[in-house]
Amino acid sequence: MNVSYNWLSKLVDLEGLTPETVAEKLTFAGAEVEGISHLASGTNLVIGEIISCIDHPDSDHLHVLQVDEGKYGVNHIVCGAPNARKGLKVIVARPGAKLPEVEIKPSKIRGQESNGMCCSLLELGVEKKMLSEYQLAGIEELPADAPVGEENVLGYLGLDDCVLEVSVLPNRPDLNAMENVAREVSCLFSRELRLGAIKEENLKEESFLVDSATPKCPQFSARVYRGVKNGPSPLWLKRVLNAEGVRSIDKIVDIGNYIMLLTGQPLNMYDEDKLAKKELVVVDDYEGKFLAMDGNEYELTKGDLLVTSGKRPVCLAGIMTADAARIDENTKNIVVEAANFDYASIRHTSNRLGLSSDSSSRFCKGINPHQAEYVQALTGMLLKELCDYEIGTTTSNYDTLSHERKVVEVTLDYLNKRLGTAFLEEEVISCLTRDHMVYLGKDKDCLRFEIPAHRIDIEGKADLSEELIRLEGYDKVQSTLPFVELSCTGLTPSQKKQRDLRHYLLHCGISEILTYTLISKDAFSRFALLHKEEPYVLSNPLTTDREIVRTSLMESALQVASYNKNHQNKDLALFEISDVDGINLSSRDLVIVLTGNVFEQGSMKSHPADFYDVKGLYEGILSILNVNPNRVQIRRFEERNEELHPGKSVGVYLGKKLIGYFGELHPVALDRLGLDNAAVLELDVNELYELRTSEIKAKAPSRFPTVSRDLAFLVDKKVSFSDIEREALRADPLIKKVVPFDLYEGKGIPEGKKSLAISITLGSNERTLKEEEITLATKKVMDTLSRKFLAEIRG
Amino acid sequence: MENELIKKGRELREKAKEDLAKALDQLGLDSFYATYLSKKGSLRGLLGNMKDVAPEERGETGSAINSFFREINDAYETRKKRLEEEKRQKKLESETIDISLPGRKPQTGFINPYHLIIDEVTDIFISMGYEVVEGRDVETDLYNFELLNVPKDHPSRDMQDTFYLNADKLLRTQTSAAQAHTMRERSSDPKPIRMICPGKAYRRDDDDQTHSHQFAQIEGLVVDKDISIANLKATLELFAKKMFGEKREIRLRSSYFPFTEPSVEVDVSCFACGGKGCSTCKGTGWIEILGAGMVNPKVLRDCGYDPEVWTGFAFGVGVERVAMLRYGIDDIRRFYSDDLRFLSDFTGK
Repeated sequence: MNVSYNWLSKLVDLEGLTPETVAEKLTFAGAEVEGISHLASGTNLVIGEIISCIDHPDSDHLHVLQVDEGKYGVNHIVCGAPNARKGLKVIVARPGAKLPEVEIKPSKIRGQESNGMCCSLLELGVEKKMLSEYQLAGIEELPADAPVGEENVLGYLGLDDCVLEVSVLPNRPDLNAMENVAREVSCLFSRELRLGAIKEENLKEESFLVDSATPKCPQFSARVYRGVKNGPSPLWLKRVLNAEGVRSIDKIVDIGNYIMLLTGQPLNMYDEDKLAKKELVVVDDYEGKFLAMDGNEYELTKGDLLVTSGKRPVCLAGIMTADAARIDENTKNIVVEAANFDYASIRHTSNRLGLSSDSSSRFCKGINPHQAEYVQALTGMLLKELCDYEIGTTTSNYDTLSHERKVVEVTLDYLNKRLGTAFLEEEVISCLTRDHMVYLGKDKDCLRFEIPAHRIDIEGKADLSEELIRLEGYDKVQSTLPFVELSCTGLTPSQKKQRDLRHYLLHCGISEILTYTLISKDAFSRFALLHKEEPYVLSNPLTTDREIVRTSLMESALQVASYNKNHQNKDLALFEISDVDGINLSSRDLVIVLTGNVFEQGSMKSHPADFYDVKGLYEGILSILNVNPNRVQIRRFEERNEELHPGKSVGVYLGKKLIGYFGELHPVALDRLGLDNAAVLELDVNELYELRTSEIKAKAPSRFPTVSRDLAFLVDKKVSFSDIEREALRADPLIKKVVPFDLYEGKGIPEGKKSLAISITLGSNERTLKEEEITLATKKVMDTLSRKFLAEIRG
Repeated sequence: MENELIKKGRELREKAKEDLAKALDQLGLDSFYATYLSKKGSLRGLLGNMKDVAPEERGETGSAINSFFREINDAYETRKKRLEEEKRQKKLESETIDISLPGRKPQTGFINPYHLIIDEVTDIFISMGYEVVEGRDVETDLYNFELLNVPKDHPSRDMQDTFYLNADKLLRTQTSAAQAHTMRERSSDPKPIRMICPGKAYRRDDDDQTHSHQFAQIEGLVVDKDISIANLKATLELFAKKMFGEKREIRLRSSYFPFTEPSVEVDVSCFACGGKGCSTCKGTGWIEILGAGMVNPKVLRDCGYDPEVWTGFAFGVGVERVAMLRYGIDDIRRFYSDDLRFLSDFTGK
């Protein structure tokens, strides 16, 4: 809402206040003033008269003027405006004048002295949209009776006003009306309201049918005025509208806008002679075309509220008049409508048709339903004053609304308890009375207040607590921490696990990133490996880049890697933990991406990230989450895909359920992303968080020493270490541990074979092993490996 | 009367003292030891000559020779120790390294400041006895709007443009949805609630420097039997001090949210200038950091908490906004681009 300070000062006493102090109080009381803008500005201005105008000798468009500036004498001014001419009264900015964009100095223009500038309103900072083409093309032409020498030029023009830009919150639609802003200011500063009184005479009783066939229009009133004399609006009205940013059209249109701005009630006006019958009936079952006064045709469906006359549409209710019923330059007789429409219905129609107006936006926000007759009377008074109609009728009103005032009861105890304050009863009564409520007295402990009609937001006692504290100020509240019963809170076991997991990964040198949930269809088609559920697709996306709710984090993380590689950061270790949602899916995943080189902990060495790096992290994650490694298995990925390298990737399974995967990227995927190498992991961590963790059982270390023996052998490439480990452990009960320490393929090793070296640890809890036992057990291992895997022992 | 042996011993002692002073290294010391102190050494050898001394002189002579021997032996040991010490010092000196070379630091990961803020706020409220509730991004109209006193077609829906998934489901526009879930889940046996819910939210906004279609909030909710605005004010004051510094103050401005009544915007005194006015606070000395209020009785009632018995307060903090203010981040899109050149300033944990 734009609030003209000048207009406001006519509605409420602002003596001694400034726009800034009013703005500050309004802001703290919940009507935030987002800015104060001046309609126009300029110093050293004076009204002058051009007493001579000759062409500049050295220019084809400049004029040399002699301007009479009253007590400042006659001055030379060079001016380029095409409308500069002898006898014209103009606005002169004298040397030293500060205009919004420029400062005026005496100068010479092509050899001619120029002491000042003749101005257009644009140059004084008036908004472009408020000016006509003609005004924009030249200097402002003042009326012939403009007083030469007058220095209060902005005052003369009615531009010495400023506008408070009030951000109206959805609970206070009443503040879209100047009268209610004035009420608010009157309450905040305890100032007198100056709303005018209603005085009307000689209205004619005449039957004009108003009716509604739908509960979505609970009230509809109309008045008829005949012999209305239209024409340009008087200066005061033009100025008011100008300050509000509304362009003046003619008296009738301007009166409609003025009343709406003043009271918040949208009016609609019809040319009576264009109505089929002396009736206006609201219906909601019309289907068909509707030609609106904006010249466009709209397709109406059942449910749209429509005002009809003789069954013909005359107005899309609350939104726009029909072209067939509009007021034009020949209109003599008008019908003025003030009605209430269901906000939801107006909103639906307006949204569906993409058609909105000042009127519809007010109906959508909510209006005061109790003021139709008041508004009709105000309008009538103004029409009499400005258009001097011949006949005006009394109001015909269809009204099913109850106009009983709301009464809210509240106890002092409730207010003070809710606010944590210690207000006295008289303070509460005084404050709420200032807030235009009527104190009805006390019923037992309950204070009873009648709520003013315009405050449609106030419904119960909680609202009264808000009124009290917003008006008294929150600095009256003494901070007190709540007293609560202690209980054991803090993070849940799953939340703790997640925190441990994040810290572990961070300490492993992996960075925690954040990516968007919404992705494109193309991105969604990638890495659909873990969750196969249908994704959610937005029904109203902004762009095709963001239209699907992802079910995998992998593509997003890889895009981050790709982006960073393009910005000279190629050695990357990234992770993100995020919820993933889909139809029948609500899970939480961890994604890890390693690209470029991995730096070995505590050394300056590095190597390109590979399968074993992510496998190591996977193993670390299981131990950090205290998951028994036997509960989850890794197996080669069964499904063929072009995302993961088939020989260097695995699925992670909990029983038969796939809960993750890790490995190196498929070369096709690397190419697409522009990466050289990448080892990745995606894991449904909720599944891991939920696994029962086993309590640690301490065991005493054996009193007897262990010994180790190394073995190296050639074996078929396809034989996995895990098979060798399993068989070696089975070979003899003295074998406690088997670890690999060297693996070699290539030069010197036969095709299809690999050289593997393992270290076996032997020990017993009962005795120190004898050399013969050790040799025997080691030999058993060698024999087993030779038998099972055709291993050729090399030493 | 001094006998020959004592005399000889005395001469040897003097000689040994001179020689010891000349022994400058291990070799010299070894040869000194061999000459005087070893079994075949001349000084020790004198003890073997005792049989040549008259029996009545043996006691005196023996103790004299012994004392010469001990004196020289002690001097030898001292000298030996000193030489060893010098040698060790030399070796240590030769081992001196360039301490300016970089250490082998196990590199920790960087952390998106978004997570830093969530962790910090979470820790503050956990220390005050709050629990952490985690909602989901996909919500129903019921929980995101209707239970929060935003019926269909309510004008305040215009405040938030929503991404819809179908007629009923949507991406939550506010973490406040967690309020309704928490209360409803406990409504069969209502108990006091102290919870926060950090999480993502979505609005149908074009991304620019200050807007993002995805962002994060931290919702807070306290429900108990005598909760007041004074409790809310004190809680947020404490939070502001922990988060932005002990000298911070807050102020409350009246505002509107459908799910709270009264509703306030909360400003914190500017932590960049201390309240004098600067570019961070746009000259006002105050920075808006969150919205809050007393839980609307309708919300309590619809979620199964009798508003005649229970009262509560709620608040919502914008995570990126706090991070941007705190770290001087100029563009909300930085959180989501994960540019390492930006992230690498943020370590922690």
